[in-house]
Amino acid sequence: MKDQKENLLPGIRILDLADEKASFCSRLLADLGADVVKIERPGGDPSRRTGPFFGDPPHPERSLFFNYHNTNKRGITLNLENRVGREIFLRLVKRSDVVLETFPPGYLRNLGLDFEVLREGNPGLIMASVTGFGQEGPRSKYKSCDIVASAFGGQMYVSGSPVTPPLKPFGEQSYYAASLFAAIGILLVLRKRKETGKGEHLDISLQEAVASTLEHVMIRYLYEKIVSKRRGNIHWSNAICILACKDGFMVITLFQQWETLVEWMDSEGMAEDLREEKYREEEYRFRNLDHIIEVIQRWTKTHTKNELFESGQLMRFPWAPVVSPEEVLENPQLKARRFFIDVEHPEMSTSVKYPGVPYQFSTSLPNKWKRAPFTGEDNIQIYTEELGLSEEDLRRLSSMKVI
Amino acid sequence: MNQGVLNGLRVLDFTRVLAGPYATRILGDFGAEVIKVQSKKTAEGAESNATGYFNHWHRNKRSITLDMSYPEAKGIVLELVKISDLVIENFSPRVMSNWGLDYERLKEVKPDLIMLSMSAMGQKGPWKDDVAYGPTLQALSGLTYLTSPTKETPMGIGYAYADPITGLYAAFAALSALEYRDRTGKGLYIDLSEYEGVCSLIGPTLLDSSLNHRNIFPQGNRSVDLPAVPYGCYQCAGIDRWCVIAVFDEGEWGSLCRVLGHPEWTKEERFSTLSKRKENEEELNKFIEQWTLQHTPEELVNLLQKAGISAGVVQNAEDLATDPHLISRDFFVQLEHPVLGKTVSDTSPIRFDEGSRGEWKAAPLLGEGNHYVFKELLGFTEDKLSSYVERGIIG
Repeated sequence: MKDQKENLLPGIRILDLADEKASFCSRLLADLGADVVKIERPGGDPSRRTGPFFGDPPHPERSLFFNYHNTNKRGITLNLENRVGREIFLRLVKRSDVVLETFPPGYLRNLGLDFEVLREGNPGLIMASVTGFGQEGPRSKYKSCDIVASAFGGQMYVSGSPVTPPLKPFGEQSYYAASLFAAIGILLVLRKRKETGKGEHLDISLQEAVASTLEHVMIRYLYEKIVSKRRGNIHWSNAICILACKDGFMVITLFQQWETLVEWMDSEGMAEDLREEKYREEEYRFRNLDHIIEVIQRWTKTHTKNELFESGQLMRFPWAPVVSPEEVLENPQLKARRFFIDVEHPEMSTSVKYPGVPYQFSTSLPNKWKRAPFTGEDNIQIYTEELGLSEEDLRRLSSMKVI
Repeated sequence: MNQGVLNGLRVLDFTRVLAGPYATRILGDFGAEVIKVQSKKTAEGAESNATGYFNHWHRNKRSITLDMSYPEAKGIVLELVKISDLVIENFSPRVMSNWGLDYERLKEVKPDLIMLSMSAMGQKGPWKDDVAYGPTLQALSGLTYLTSPTKETPMGIGYAYADPITGLYAAFAALSALEYRDRTGKGLYIDLSEYEGVCSLIGPTLLDSSLNHRNIFPQGNRSVDLPAVPYGCYQCAGIDRWCVIAVFDEGEWGSLCRVLGHPEWTKEERFSTLSKRKENEEELNKFIEQWTLQHTPEELVNLLQKAGISAGVVQNAEDLATDPHLISRDFFVQLEHPVLGKTVSDTSPIRFDEGSRGEWKAAPLLGEGNHYVFKELLGFTEDKLSSYVERGIIG
C-alpha cells in the first residue's frame, strides 16, 4: 500500500485488550497508521452492547458506540482465562510493541500475565493500563465508569446550576481524556525506547485524567482557596452567558467590546439604560450583572441565532449558537474541511459519515477508513497467516471456547 | 533544563491561553526545551508571568521577549527556527503569514521542521477567521446542548473543557509528527481545528443522529445508551454534598438492596426487573435519595464500593486538593517560584518511570530565558543583545 509509507505511525503493533475506557486511545493511533489488533473475549467486547445502535432492536454488531471507538482496527477473539489462550496471547505479545488494557488492577497478574511476565520475551514491550483510579493507592480497587470518574475527578461539581444536582458532562468524557493521555504516553515511551531499548508500564487513571482537564477549577483553589461552584448558564468569570434568542440559545460575551455592543443594541433602540456613562466602568458592570443580563436578553430575544452569530462575528464577538447534533452535521465549516469521513458499512447497506480527526497534515495521509471489525473477523488472518495455526487448530480452539 | 524523555527536543512556542500552553506544558513536563515567545505588551492578564494561572500552565518552560511589531524580530525568529524541532502557534490564521513566518518560509531555513498551527476553526474553510473561546466552541459542537437537564435550560460544562482537550490533541499530533520525521527525515505542517476536536467528543451521538435520522434531546444525568438504573447523582447529608451511583445489572441491584437493608419498596413489582426499574426511574430515584440524604457521600461510597457497586463522591476543588487517594499517588507537586514562593500544581497523569520526567521547575519570569537563548543558543554578543533590548525589539 502506497499509503502506509506516508502515514505517521506505521509499523507500530498494538494489542488492544481495552474496553470502552480506552478503546479511543488505540483508535487515535490506528487512525494514523498503527496496526491495532483488538482482542475481544469470545462472544465479543461488552461495549458492543452499549448504544446508540443503528436501527432497532439493539444488536452487538450495530453498536455505533463500539463502531466509533474501533475504526481502522483488526479484531480477533481470545479467551485469556484459558491456559491455551494465554499461550497464544504470549506469542502475539512477542510480535507487538504495545499492550493496551483496562482490567481491574491485579487481574492480569492473577492470570500470570503481568507486565514483568509479558516483557520477558520482549524487553521493548510497552504496556498501557487505563483504570478508574490507577494501579496503586487506597482507591485502586474501586469500580469505576464515566459518571464515577466525572464525580471523583471534579467535573460534575462545577457543571449544572445552583438549583439542580451536579451535572455529568455528556458522553464518556473521562474515557476520551484518559485515552488522549494514554496515547501521548505511548508515543513518549516509544521515543524513550529508541534510546534505551526498554519498554515501560504506563499507569493512567480516569480520575486523574479528569482532574487534569478542569481548566481554572484547581488553580483557583490552589492559589486563592476559592471553591468553584455550579453557575448554570453563567460562566465562572461572569463574562460569558447563555441567553435565549428568538429560536434557541446563544453564548454571549457580556463585557468584550462593551461600547460596540451597546451601540449595536442602541441602533435597534434596545440598549435601555446601558447607554449611561456609568456602565463604561467594568467594575460597575460586574456589580450590576443581573440587570445587564436582563437588558441584553430582551434584545437577543428579538433576533435569531444566525443573525446574532453572523453579525456578531463581523464585529469580532466570539459568540456562538447552542446547537444540537443535527445542526453539527450540517455545519458548513466542517463540510468544507471534509471533517466527516465516509466509511463503508456493507452490512448496513450504506456508507456512514464518521466524525474524523481534528488535525490535517501537509503529507497526504490515507483518507480511507475501515469500519470497526465484527467479532472475531480477523481470526483466520491473524491466527493462520501470522501465527501459522492450521484450520484444524482453529476449529479445536473454537470448540474449546478459546477463540 | 531537565533530563526527561524529550530531552534534546526544542520547541518554539508562540501560543497563548490556553489550548496551546496546555500542549507545550506536556512537552516541557517530559523534558523538551520549550521557549515561549512573549513581550512586555502581551504579558498581561492570563499571560502575566508572576500569577498563579500563568505559573500553572507554564512550568518547565523558558520565556524570551520579542516584540514582533519590529521587522528585526522576524529575523531573530528565523534564527531560532533553524535550531528548533517544533514551532507551535495558536493565533488566528492570518497572524503568522502577516509576519512572513508561515510554514513555507520557515521550512526554507529548517527543512525538516514540524509546525503546528492550532486555531478555533482551522486554517481553511469559510469560518477560518471566526473568533471563539472554549465555551463558544463547546456550544457549536453540540456538547453544551447535550450537557443540560432539558432543551430549554442549556448549561453545558462549567469550564473551558475544549482548551485542555485541544492541548492533548495537539501534543498527540506533534509527537506523531516527530515519529514521522524520525522515520522519513521529513518535516510536516499540522493544521489543527479546536472546533473539530470538540466535535470528536460526541462521536457516537453524531453517528446516531446521522444514521437514524432522529432528533436527540438532552437528558441531564440519565443514562441514555446503557440500561443502567439506578444511575445518577443523589444528594447526601451536608451542604451541597452529592454522590453518584451506577447499577448495571441484576447482580449489582441485588447488592444494592442488601446495602439498603432490603426495605419493603425494593420488593415492589414495579422495581422487579431492570426494564421495570427504568420505566419507574423517577420513583426509584426518590427512594434512593431518601436513603442517601441520611449519610455523607464518603460513607455511602465506601459501603457501595465494598458491595461491588460503582459509586463516587462528587468532589469539589477542595476535596480534590485534599483527596487521600490522589495524595498517596503524589498527584500534587510543589514548585518554588521566585515571586509566588511555594506553589502547588497537579502532576502529569501520564505516569511511567518517574525519571522520565526529569527535574521540574516553576514558570519563568518574563524574559528570564533571554540571556540563555540569545547569547548561548544564538551567540549574540553582549553589545548586540543590549542594542536589541534598548531598541525595544527584545523587550
